[in-house]
Order: sequence, then C-alpha cells, then structure tokens
Amino acid sequence: MTEFLLDDLTEEALTGRSDAAEEPSWLRDRRLAAFKRYLDLAWPDSRADEFWRSTPFQRRIDVDRAVVTTAPADVEVPASVTDGLDLGSATARIIDGEVVDITLPTAMAELGVVVTDLATAAREHGDLVRTHLGSLTTSDPEGTGGGSDRTVTVNDAAWTAGLFVHVPAEVELDAPISVQVHASTPGAHLPRVLGVLGHHARATLYLEHTSAPELDALVDEVVEVIAQDASKLDVVSLQRWDGPVQHLSLQKVAAHRDASIRHLTVTIGGATVRVLPECDLVGAGAEVRPLGIYFADEGQWFDLQPYVRHLAPHASSDVLFKGALQGHSRTVFRGNIFVHKDAVGTVTDENNRSLILTEGARADATPFLEIECADITAGHGSATGQIDALHLFYLESRGIRRDDALRLIVFGFFRDVLREIAAPGIEDVALADIEARVEAADLSKVQINDAALQDLG
Amino acid sequence: MADLEIRDLTVEADGAEILRGVTLDLDKGRTLALMGPNGSGKSTLAYAIAGHPAYDVTGGTITWKGTALTELTPDERARLGVFLAMQYPVEVPGVSLTNFLRTAVNATQGDGEDVPVREFMSRLRGAMKDLGVDESFLQRSVNEGFSGGEKKRFEILQASLLRPELAVLDETDSGLDVDALKTVAEGVNRLQGPDLGVLIITHYTRILRYIEPDEVHVMFEGRIVASGGPELADELEEHGYENLKTTA
Ligand SMILES: Nc1ncnc2c1ncn2[C@@H]1O[C@H](COP(=O)(O)OP(=O)(O)OP(=O)(O)O)[C@@H](O)[C@H]1O
Ligand SMILES: [Mg+2]
Repeated sequence: MTEFLLDDLTEEALTGRSDAAEEPSWLRDRRLAAFKRYLDLAWPDSRADEFWRSTPFQRRIDVDRAVVTTAPADVEVPASVTDGLDLGSATARIIDGEVVDITLPTAMAELGVVVTDLATAAREHGDLVRTHLGSLTTSDPEGTGGGSDRTVTVNDAAWTAGLFVHVPAEVELDAPISVQVHASTPGAHLPRVLGVLGHHARATLYLEHTSAPELDALVDEVVEVIAQDASKLDVVSLQRWDGPVQHLSLQKVAAHRDASIRHLTVTIGGATVRVLPECDLVGAGAEVRPLGIYFADEGQWFDLQPYVRHLAPHASSDVLFKGALQGHSRTVFRGNIFVHKDAVGTVTDENNRSLILTEGARADATPFLEIECADITAGHGSATGQIDALHLFYLESRGIRRDDALRLIVFGFFRDVLREIAAPGIEDVALADIEARVEAADLSKVQINDAALQDLG
Repeated sequence: MADLEIRDLTVEADGAEILRGVTLDLDKGRTLALMGPNGSGKSTLAYAIAGHPAYDVTGGTITWKGTALTELTPDERARLGVFLAMQYPVEVPGVSLTNFLRTAVNATQGDGEDVPVREFMSRLRGAMKDLGVDESFLQRSVNEGFSGGEKKRFEILQASLLRPELAVLDETDSGLDVDALKTVAEGVNRLQGPDLGVLIITHYTRILRYIEPDEVHVMFEGRIVASGGPELADELEEHGYENLKTTA
C-alpha cells in the first residue's frame, strides 16, 4: 500500500484511493486540482498570515502524521447527544477514516432526505454534489472560497470519510440530522461534510466531535452547507474531544435569498481547536446568527474565527461568542465582517465576552470590520471580565455555597447564547460539560472582581 | 442573652468609618424598626450582619444564637437563618431564577437531601401567588430587568421560601405603590411568629402601619441615638430628625 502522509501527499496515492472508492472522474480531477494547489502552498506561517497570527501553527499543530483511512472494527464510541433522545433523528458516524452506521428514519427517507457517504453521493446524486462540493472552499475555482490555506486545500484534495446530506426543497424537519465525528486512532483525520438544503427547507445539523481518551491526533475538517432560498438551517458543532486532539475546522455555510441560519459552536475539549464558522450571505434578505460558547482549561488553546461576508443587499448578521477560561489557557476570538460595496442595507453586529476564572488564562479578542459600503448599520464590541463580587455575595447571602454560586454564575454567563438555539439536548450536554470543568476548578484560585463593591452607596 | 446581640459595632467601608459603636438586641418573635436619615449607616449595619465583603467590621461583635456571625461567610450566616432583603437587590445576569431559588432552598433547608422538585415547585408557585408575582418570572434571570417594585417583591418571595429566623428588611417599602406595599407587608406578616425576628429599616411609618414594630430605634451618624416604642416613629415622621441632631 502506498504511504498516505499528510505532509507528503502524492498523486499516486490520491488517484489510487479515488479509484478504489469508485469516485467519478470529475471528483478525482478535483482532488488532483486541489493537490496541485497543495503542492504550491506551504503550511501556514503564523508570522505572515494574518488569519494565523493568533495561533502559532508550528508550535500547536503537528502535520507530520499519516492520514487515517480506515476505522478499527471494534471501537467504543461515546454516546452522542441524540442517542438518549427519542426524536426520530437521522444519525451518522464518521469513525477515523470511514463513514459507518448511517440511520435514516423512514419518515425522512420518504420525504426524499438523503444522508449517505460522499463517494456514493458523487455517483448517485452527481449533479448536486458536483455543483456544491468545494463551492465554498478552495477546490472549486468558481466558488466563493479563497485558495490560500493549505489546511483547507489538503482536505479538498485528500478528504477520507465524507458525508452528504440533502434536504429537498420545502421539506421541513423537526428532528436533527446528527453526525458524530469520532477519532479513535492517532494520526491525521480528514473528515468532510457537505449539506444542501433546498429552497424553503428546514433542518438542524449536529456535528459532534468525540475521541478516545488521551488521543493524540490531528483532525482537519471541512464542512460546507448550502442553504438555498428561504430555507432555515441550524448547525450545532460540539467539540468534545477527550484528549490532546488538534482540531482545525472550517464550517462554512452559504445563505441564499431570505435564508436564515443559526450556527452554534460549543468548544470544550481538545488541545488546540481552531474553528472557523464562516458564512457567505449571497442572497438578498438572508440572515445569519453565528454563536459560540467555549470553556478553556489548563493547556488548551481555542481560536474562534467567525467570518461573515455580506455579499448581497439587506442581509443581516449578528455574531455572539462567549468564553470562560481557567488555568493556563488561551482563547482567541477573531471576528471578521466583510461588507461588499453592493451590500446596501446591511445590518451587522459582532460581540465577544470572556470570563476569566483563574489567573494565568488569557483571552484575546479582535473584532474586524471591512466595509466597502456606506449605507449600512454596524456595531461591534468585546469585553473581558471576572466573576463579579456582588453577584457572588448576592447568591451566597441566600445560603448558596461558593462552588454552587460559581456554577450558577458561569451557567448564567452562557445562558443567553444557549437560549438562542432551542436545539434538543444541546443545552444539557453543553452545561454538563461546563459543570464538570467548574467542579474541577480550584476555588481558592478563582479571581473575583470587586470593582463593583467600591461604588455602592 | 438576646438571640441577636450587637455590641459596640464599628464598621468601615473603603477606609471610612461608618458605624461608630452600635449596640442593639433583637429576640426572635419580635419586630424592631430602624430609622434614620440618609447616610446614617442603616444599610451598613444590615450588610455587616449579612457579611457583605465591602464592609469591614473593625470592632465589636455580632452574635446570633450564641455564634459570632463575623467569623462566618455570608452563606454560612444564611444557613443559620439570617436573611437580608436588600435595599438594592443585585441583578445577576443569566442566572435562572428557578435554579437560583432551588439551589438556595436546598442549601438552607435540605438537611443534605434536596427538596423534591415537585414539592419545591408547588411551594414556589404558592409563594408567587401570595406575593402577586407572575409565573412568567420563572423563566427570568435573577433581578435582571426587574422594576424597583418587582425586585422588592422578589426579596420577600425569597424570604418566604428560605424561612429565615432573622429577617433584615432594608427599605423593602421604598419603590412600592400602596397596593404592592400591602401585598408585601402581608407577605412579611405571614412569616412573622415566635421563630422569626424582624429588623425593618425604613424612612416612613407607612409600612409600620401594616407591620407593627415592638421597638423603634433611630440611627444618626453611625450610632443609635434614640430608642422607644412605636410612638417614636410617628414623632419622627411629624418632626423629622432635626431635634435628634442636637441631642446626638
Ligand atoms: N461601600 C462603601 N464605600 C464607601 N462608603 C460607603 C460605602 N457604603 C456606604 N458608604 C457610606 O457610608 C454612609 C452610610 O451609608 P448607608 O448606606 O449605610 O446609609 P443608609 O442609612 O442606609 O442611607 P439611606 O437611607 O440613604 O439608605 C454613607 O455616607 C455612604 O456614602
Ligand atoms: Mg440604606
């Protein structure tokens, strides 16, 4: 078998795999086109690339790994959010380099919903896949994506386990489509997800990331979802890695005319997690609500870069990310809003809040606005704070112990974000993960902001 | 020995001495009114009892049922039955009112066991009904966006759920219209009994018509300068604090 190394891809390996998977020739050609760009590009240089400035690539990301292309036979996979819920969800698991366990309820299948692996989809739904795969990234020159980030291009060229989700026009789903991406073996994992919502469709997509305990792996992931006219899409991505996983994830959605998208990322696990929840507002009247919560603990480095591009008039975006930190951890929020010169009537707002629980943690926030059009409404803000002594006193004065008071305050900090998406099961899982973190915290090290005490009267 | 004994209490905030030797006794089953002009130190006394971190006790003692309160954290005091209805209740963003109350009820009276959810909810609903608090508040965050009057009602609602033995009510009457004042006073009256001592801080006799005090004390510049029966309150309302200042 030919070697398949992330840092040293070969045309031979790519062609061989593409043929073995019986991918159509157009798909193989796309992979090879991406491969050519991969050869031309270097890995990101954090000193030179402004989108990488916040995360030292050389230090935090190890690309010297073999690509994992299979899944072991007997893997213990943690329960997913939807496992315990009787919702009639469609579920799919990507384990390491393979798509396994797709369950599509009959009710959804009868409506024409498709959840299948991407290689099969490329044969059976060729037109759709051909039109949309890579249309938001670097592998389609006609698409909206740039071609300059090798961490994306490498996935375009060499993605292994791919999943395709199609919700046809006017089909409205209450139950989520739940995709679990589970990493069980060391190495480089290259999962890929493509979703397409037809016009006036409605769907919720869960992407849940889990791993074997203490796993050292790099997961380089690309998710693209196209929301066609007047469709409604909720995407929830949970980063629940159980170990020092390095996770690079481009999660890009396109909102066509009057489409409405909410995109929540919940980042708790992983050593280095860099998530790019991006949205192109390509149709007039579209709206997007990029939301994020994160809780970073000792040694973790989270880099969150929501990017919204207003490419059409009268679209709106409202970004809200909230993070808590403890231990020696680092979070970066780099929010980007671009407003094209034709995007008149744009309404955009962008906010980031950080709550530093203990000394040694650092949160950076840089909201960027790049505006070519004068006729718009734009706002942005960021703030970093600590637990407020007055809040703590109020709760404690009711008999609540300090650890419970802290937990309530931290939950409260995140509550407005979680309330924005009434996605079944998500709030419970997110809060349980956060609770475990708060419980493990050293209460004696919690920093309390007593500034508010001074201006009592 | 009285249940609550305050002896020669001196308190500082931000380096300034505010209480300059306060002595006061309160037994369970009794109601005391504390009056006095703005800035005389009434809230400071209330906060010192509750253990507010901005107020430093620099001298004297506060003893509750034989225990030195000043040695205890605010939550420990509350679990001994001390409750402060604050003059300016704190907004705690995002913290769900229901979770907050449930945690507080479990902390103060669970005996280690949580009060069953159903029992808690029915007690909560009952208390809300008594105090005219709409059920929609169950979804709200603690005090967030509450009007002044709503905050005061919510303080008394907490008192009725936490069943304290010492309730310090710091200007609970301010910001309430006549109807709300009646409702809140009735709420306090329901709590009163042989197991509760009440210290009610106010500027007006209005609330004292509904909650009758056994004693009235007057604070001025960090000291108690006059004490008497309920008639003292009427006197103050009529003549103000002017002649106190000369005697102080
Ligand atoms: N945290 C603080 N830092 C500095 N000074 C304070 C602080 N709290 C209170 N003071 C000062 O102490 C004095 C007494 O304040 P306190 O709030 O106890 O008065 P009060 O009798 O409750 O007044 P009011 O009737 O207006 O409520 C005032 O001069 C006030 O400005
Ligand atoms: Mg006061």
